[in-house]
Amino acid sequence: MRMCGRSTNTSRISRAERESRLPVIAAETEDLLRRLAPQVLGAVVRRYGSFGLAEDATQEAMAAAAMQWRDGLPENPRAWLITVASRRLTDLLRSEQARREREDRVARWALTERGAPRPDEPRAGDTDDTLVLLLLCCHPSLPAASQIALTLRAVGGLSTTEIARALLGSEQTVTRRITRAKQSIRDSGVPFALPAPGELGGRLDAVLRVLYLIFNEGYASTAGTALIRADLAQEAIRLARTLHAALPDDSEVAGLLALMLLIHARHRARTAPDGSLIPMAEQDRSLWDRGAIDEGVSLVTAALPRGPTGPYQLQAAIAALHDEAETPEATDWRQIAALYGVLLRLDDNPVVALNHAVAVSMVAGPRAGLELVQRLGADARINADRRFHAVRGHLLEMAGDRAAALEAYRAAARVATNLQQQRYLNQQVTRLQAPPGPFGDIMRKAT
Amino acid sequence: MKYMILTFASQQQYQEMVGQPSGRPAWTQEDWAALGSFMQAFSQELLDSGELVETLGLSAPVHTRRVQFKEGVPVVTDGPYAEAEEVLAGYWVVECESFDRATEIAARLTGCPGPEHIRARAYADVRPIDEHQPDFEG
Repeated sequence: MRMCGRSTNTSRISRAERESRLPVIAAETEDLLRRLAPQVLGAVVRRYGSFGLAEDATQEAMAAAAMQWRDGLPENPRAWLITVASRRLTDLLRSEQARREREDRVARWALTERGAPRPDEPRAGDTDDTLVLLLLCCHPSLPAASQIALTLRAVGGLSTTEIARALLGSEQTVTRRITRAKQSIRDSGVPFALPAPGELGGRLDAVLRVLYLIFNEGYASTAGTALIRADLAQEAIRLARTLHAALPDDSEVAGLLALMLLIHARHRARTAPDGSLIPMAEQDRSLWDRGAIDEGVSLVTAALPRGPTGPYQLQAAIAALHDEAETPEATDWRQIAALYGVLLRLDDNPVVALNHAVAVSMVAGPRAGLELVQRLGADARINADRRFHAVRGHLLEMAGDRAAALEAYRAAARVATNLQQQRYLNQQVTRLQAPPGPFGDIMRKAT
Repeated sequence: MKYMILTFASQQQYQEMVGQPSGRPAWTQEDWAALGSFMQAFSQELLDSGELVETLGLSAPVHTRRVQFKEGVPVVTDGPYAEAEEVLAGYWVVECESFDRATEIAARLTGCPGPEHIRARAYADVRPIDEHQPDFEG
């Protein structure tokens, strides 16, 4: 909150001003700064506490670096940043204290400094700090939207402008969300430390969920926005890499990174030049990113035997089987169906059940798949969903029941809210309406 | 200053756009593709110039739920619009130097491709956003 007319008002510049002052710097320096940002922030928070101010101090150190490093990097960039950020934080804490009248709050803050910073400490601490920072940003007490914004800001090092653009929100909303999140972290008094071993699992689940949400945000798009969001999936992968570096032995962390890589590997083949989505069976597989596929496959291959098996590893294993098939016909549907079966037992999710039904139909024929889909007809979570009707339509058509398939596609188009999907489903309706017979078949192929 | 640029379409026009038979010629794949690339380029340009605050498109009017207070209770009506009624279809919020600049941006939408009978009826509105502009900043 802005305080008007207070003589204690400091000379702190607003974030927007600070960001607009950032000079254009070399891409390598920018990469380096973004990589170092969470490490510096983590180091400063761990020593001084006060997450909110530490974040401001780190931003200011980054801005200073962007100015001063144009003529060359310091010998130890990380140490340089930690020193500058610590100095800045000390200033901020002093003025903050001057502003606060209540003694107790002052006492909680950092004149309880935990020893002088040691900017040149070994690298092992960096990943720990980044991990603690991730756990803090994804704290279960924060709403999902705040977890995402705060993670992108504090760990991803994105500016509020960049976050607003990526999430298609206004800058004010993002700023408000981040400010409120920092406030509630401060008020909750959560210590900046690794949670007790018994709690780590649950807290880590929250981090994985947030990273996966960020990744999926990158794929969600609305009219005219597809270009804007492409980087978000990339950013989620970068964050998952950071987490994997901090916890190399955690198989679900490895599974999530693998899953993202294996899905993102297909992104260039996924959209037609006109922006419409191309189903996997029709994609040009030569456009798939081999490097990403190899990395994802080896990650999940190493993780699975290590256990414990979790949903991210299973989904990654399914994605790997798709990615490894040179043609759609070469897909190992038997294994995919089995993996979906295991996934269903871990997580009773109707969308997983639909995918399972499709995989079963590829192994045992459309009637077997339809039988499974029919059972979902009583499931209120999915029976009014576009995907339920679309899968039914697809399987009914495979089974040769055109009239029922047509009705199912019509129902899917009726409930679809995305124009692109509606258009695709209506195309199926039009195709099936064409008269059967040799000429009808030709027409069907042509559309 | 911030302005909202609003575009409008009827349920009938939406149906034509997604290829659902409605008595009039539906959009071809080419029409649809041209619309997509025009909108992408339009939004990307605003993003590059730093004027785009946000943009969203709405799904078809038939998915609307109207909530009203009637005889002491809230009442929900599904799909309250008539087929031919033109309602909000999407918007851009832009931040730019003047009303004239916002109008200039909106005017570019008149170049949006599509079937002639749609283009002939299409329009966009530009409205200033009610922002609190403090007289003093402390």
